[in-house]
Amino acid sequence: MAAELDIADVKAAADRVLAEELYWFPVRHHSPAVARHVRAAIRARKPKLVLIEGPAHANELIPHVVDSKTKPPIALYSSFRDDTNALGLAGIASAAPDIPPRFPVWYPLLAYSPEYVAMKEAAAIGAATAFMDLPSHGLIEPHPALREPEDGDEPEDADEPSPTGAASWETFVVESDFYQTMARVAGYRTWDEGWDSMFEIGHRHASHEEFRRDLAYFCAAVRATTPRGRMEHDGTLARERFMLRTITAEVARRKLRPADVMIVCGGFHLFLDRADPEPPPELPSGTVFATVVPYSYFRVSELAGYGAANRAPKYYEKVWDHGDTRGEDEPWVAAMIDHVTAVLGRGRKDGELLSAADAISVTQHARMLASLRGRPAPILDDIRDALVSCCCKGRPEEEGRHLLAAMTATEIGNAIGRVTPALGRMPIVHDFYAQLDTLELGDVMGKDKRTVVTLDLREPHGAARSAFLHRLVKLEVPLATLEGRGAEGGATLFREKWRLEWSPKTEGQLIEKNLYGDSIEAAAMAQLEEDVAKEQRQAGATCARLLESVAMQLPHLVDKLEAAAAAAVDEDRLFSSQCQALGHLLVLDRLAMQRDLGRPAIASLATRSFTRACLAIGDLGSIPADQHEETIGYLKSLAEAVLSPQGEMELDRALFSDSVKAAAVAAEVPFMQGAYAGLLTELREIDPAELAARVAAFASSHPTKMVLAGEFLDGAFAVSKTSLLLGAEALVAAIDTLLRAAPWDDFMTLLPKVRNAFERLHERQRLSFADRVAARYGLATTEEVSELPVTSAGAAAYLATLDARVAAVMADWSF
Amino acid sequence: MTKPDDQALILREPAELQYRAQLDALIQADATTSRDAPPNAWKLSPRSVLAYITGTPKPIEATIGGKKVSVAITRKFFNDDALVERAIVTLASERALLLVGEPGTGKSWLSEHLAAAISGCSTLTIQGTAGTTEDQIKYSWNVARVIAEGPKPSNLIPSPTMIAMRTGGLLRFEEITRCVPDVQDALVSILSDKNIVVPELPDANMVFARPGFNIIATANSRDQGVNELSAALKRRFNYIHIPIVGDQKTEMAIVRDRSKELIERYKIPAKLEEPVLEVLATVFREMRNGTTADGTTFQKTSTTLSTAEAIAVALDSAIYARYFGTGAIGVADVAKNLVGSIVKEDLADLQVLKEYLSLVAKKRGAKDALWKAFHDAAIKAVASAS
Repeated sequence: MAAELDIADVKAAADRVLAEELYWFPVRHHSPAVARHVRAAIRARKPKLVLIEGPAHANELIPHVVDSKTKPPIALYSSFRDDTNALGLAGIASAAPDIPPRFPVWYPLLAYSPEYVAMKEAAAIGAATAFMDLPSHGLIEPHPALREPEDGDEPEDADEPSPTGAASWETFVVESDFYQTMARVAGYRTWDEGWDSMFEIGHRHASHEEFRRDLAYFCAAVRATTPRGRMEHDGTLARERFMLRTITAEVARRKLRPADVMIVCGGFHLFLDRADPEPPPELPSGTVFATVVPYSYFRVSELAGYGAANRAPKYYEKVWDHGDTRGEDEPWVAAMIDHVTAVLGRGRKDGELLSAADAISVTQHARMLASLRGRPAPILDDIRDALVSCCCKGRPEEEGRHLLAAMTATEIGNAIGRVTPALGRMPIVHDFYAQLDTLELGDVMGKDKRTVVTLDLREPHGAARSAFLHRLVKLEVPLATLEGRGAEGGATLFREKWRLEWSPKTEGQLIEKNLYGDSIEAAAMAQLEEDVAKEQRQAGATCARLLESVAMQLPHLVDKLEAAAAAAVDEDRLFSSQCQALGHLLVLDRLAMQRDLGRPAIASLATRSFTRACLAIGDLGSIPADQHEETIGYLKSLAEAVLSPQGEMELDRALFSDSVKAAAVAAEVPFMQGAYAGLLTELREIDPAELAARVAAFASSHPTKMVLAGEFLDGAFAVSKTSLLLGAEALVAAIDTLLRAAPWDDFMTLLPKVRNAFERLHERQRLSFADRVAARYGLATTEEVSELPVTSAGAAAYLATLDARVAAVMADWSF
Repeated sequence: MTKPDDQALILREPAELQYRAQLDALIQADATTSRDAPPNAWKLSPRSVLAYITGTPKPIEATIGGKKVSVAITRKFFNDDALVERAIVTLASERALLLVGEPGTGKSWLSEHLAAAISGCSTLTIQGTAGTTEDQIKYSWNVARVIAEGPKPSNLIPSPTMIAMRTGGLLRFEEITRCVPDVQDALVSILSDKNIVVPELPDANMVFARPGFNIIATANSRDQGVNELSAALKRRFNYIHIPIVGDQKTEMAIVRDRSKELIERYKIPAKLEEPVLEVLATVFREMRNGTTADGTTFQKTSTTLSTAEAIAVALDSAIYARYFGTGAIGVADVAKNLVGSIVKEDLADLQVLKEYLSLVAKKRGAKDALWKAFHDAAIKAVASAS
């Protein structure tokens, strides 16, 4: 339950902070308005020290952040590895108990992030800068077993961490009763709209002091309506204890007057408890690494929902760039015009008919909307609505889809930052670029263009490229996607087709993976080992890893993984997992010759996997309905393996047939009964006529059983196509008998499943059934019809006769 | 517009009469608020137009008929308020407004209320059809008098467009895409130059629009592509797509409010009780989406099952219950009147309804008496319609 809001108390609390000698400046991440006022405050006050809400262990990076060769968007990247498992999370936050858990965090900085502007401005006036926030690993909760028992309720599942490791204070804003009431009255649909309306737009605040005061009042009200337990739960209080200690220590260490110090932090933290007796949390011991990395607008926008996100980084960049514009073309209007013309320009490239007159209408419409909504100038929400009103001629998701795409692309932009070379590259990034050069793939980097390369794996160069790209896929580095493996995808056993497309996330992901190793190969190997450790005793997953190790050309791992796969195949009792394993092993068997693999060993594994899969068929009786389709897929793959044996692999057909027969007898669900019967027909174990007889038997059964015929048919059609067509005539007769026997209500119950069964067939197969139906009802054969001359009086007469006969037949059908 | 003395003679009052007290209260409120002056020839400020259509949380104090009263401003349009804001702003700008959407989404309803609130007159209307001519859009002549006297201004019969232009009012053009393209294009010059040329009158050959003139058109998205607007005309309209209401709660509120209003108009002493309303809204919603909340899927009908259709079923059910039933509106009455709404364009929709009744309603009927009553009555209605 949120606290009640006492206006006088709120005002007094804010006034106390604003009157302190220490100069606190409240901020919102990535806000041009805050950045502008922070800059003005620094210029006016000329502090000797600026303390910023950033990770305290990253102070050494500040010179690289403000370096003239560093261009935002960038991010402070920090990772923590719990080498000694002090937190007890190995095997929980990592794949296995012997793998230390890693915790990476990014702190994005844009050109108009108040924190970045504060650092730059402080450097410009010669003031010292330092970070004062608790490093994010200080907030990692140890395993419950290692935690001291606390009084009160145990917090429930923690919120998903934000990129900065802790929930932003803006989460509290959105949750607070104070803001929710305000939003309801003012009609704000989102917090972004609320913020822009109150603080971002117009020159509502004549000076940085006015702005600071209003934002402090707002944050004081939010804080007053936020329960303390909520702040304790998400680590806000722990962070504030750390901030308080850092501020006190820094001021004392540098022997400064408080008035010479400026604090730049989230508005919520202005009201941290100055008399909090609790010490900040101890930082866990482990390996900590921090650096500055290029970031992208796309990634900042992707984090929407977090406090550290920005819904339209490029648009706000325009607002920032026009920040000093005055007069008629005030910043918001200038930014709007820039933005709208950019959207329309992009829309025109996509074929939309958009003119300069539309731009005029949009800007006029946006201004009027803003006025109607009580805003001094249009904000992004008004501009979006105006663009849709004036330029979308129909349903936004259909006729307006190009426009919407242009709006999103223009709002986000594609800026990617650059980090000063003085910082140096991480080894894994260095290795990545070196390999790109060696493998002649460097052209793809830094371009917004898609390239397709086809690799011949028999050539060393092609094989090396393939291995490199597979390793990148393993590391989830967004650069390469393997297109269809089959011939229809342009690929064969010896040929691969890759789509290469650089993404701003490419380098970020490499950095994230740096803890796995210093090179792509080492990191891929470590990642694979981690995956295998996670999937012990799972035959399907382990064999998939074995296949990956072959594709990534990691020979040291192949032997190890073969052993792991053998153990998993022998231990795994799951039918689905064994079928997956068999599928992977069959592919490996085909690759064996080319990749110099021990074929007998693979064949032996495949045989064992097949045998275990057959033995597990008996356990399928109780599978839940939502797994029926998946199970059918596996049964079909086993049947295919038996019916089209590979090389010298000996798969026991009789064992498979016997297992299916036994399962068919035991099955209680009609769908699975049908599937087994269909499978046995496909294996030639039963005659198609027998299958038809089983369908026909439903017609004479009790109505409660009769309605299950649809499910039986659906199951049979799911696995069997060819054999069914061989016995189509009998089957048509059986279905006919069934449908004639079914009363109307039962027919309606049968209908969806029978329809489903026929929808499983290919159109040609359906037509073939239709021919049988036609023949059964005395219509001419296909040959007779197709031999008719296309245009002749005779043909017309014949068709008229046919029509009459069809009508006569249908008249007998009582629908 | 003048209200006839005998109110009973009007079957359906236009919005400006039906909601005259609310409009008057808002006009008075505007007069006391200096920041919100109505634009050219508008009766209300844009903010008050918005308040009229979306309602206000508190009543407004006003003097109506010489008495100080508290007037509640009710919500007229249940959908995203941003759509209404965009529509109001469009009408205050150079461009005309085209409301487009599936049948029954409230386009005409919104159009009528916008016209009533902005110009005080919602009856300057052209109903677009395949037979609409350019004369009906611009002007025509009293042929007998022209033969006798020749073309004179007094012999000219102005169209609703011309009247709207002369008075600075709003023209409502319903179902514009039903008109053939040549006729639609008569609007191009009216929207660009804001005038109509009358070449037959050399001394008075121009009719200019007064400030405030604009057009609210509506178009059925199912007609898109039949007589789609030319590029020139499209450019002169801002399109606002009215989606089918997204959530059941809002849809129920609409059916509840509108059907109550209609039932009162027909002086039927019955009320659509909440459980019956819920069954009606659920059936429409599920049949429209082709799926139920628990994931059962079935075919969708070819007819658009709009909220307006649900309101119509509610009213039909009330009339049926009043004259042929028990007087109380039950699910059986709803079921009996449902078939006509669902099976309109294609008889195959009857099979779709049967499928829904067999797969969904019957199952629910096993546990819920209300659904059982609905199922049984609907099955009978379907059987008699087959």
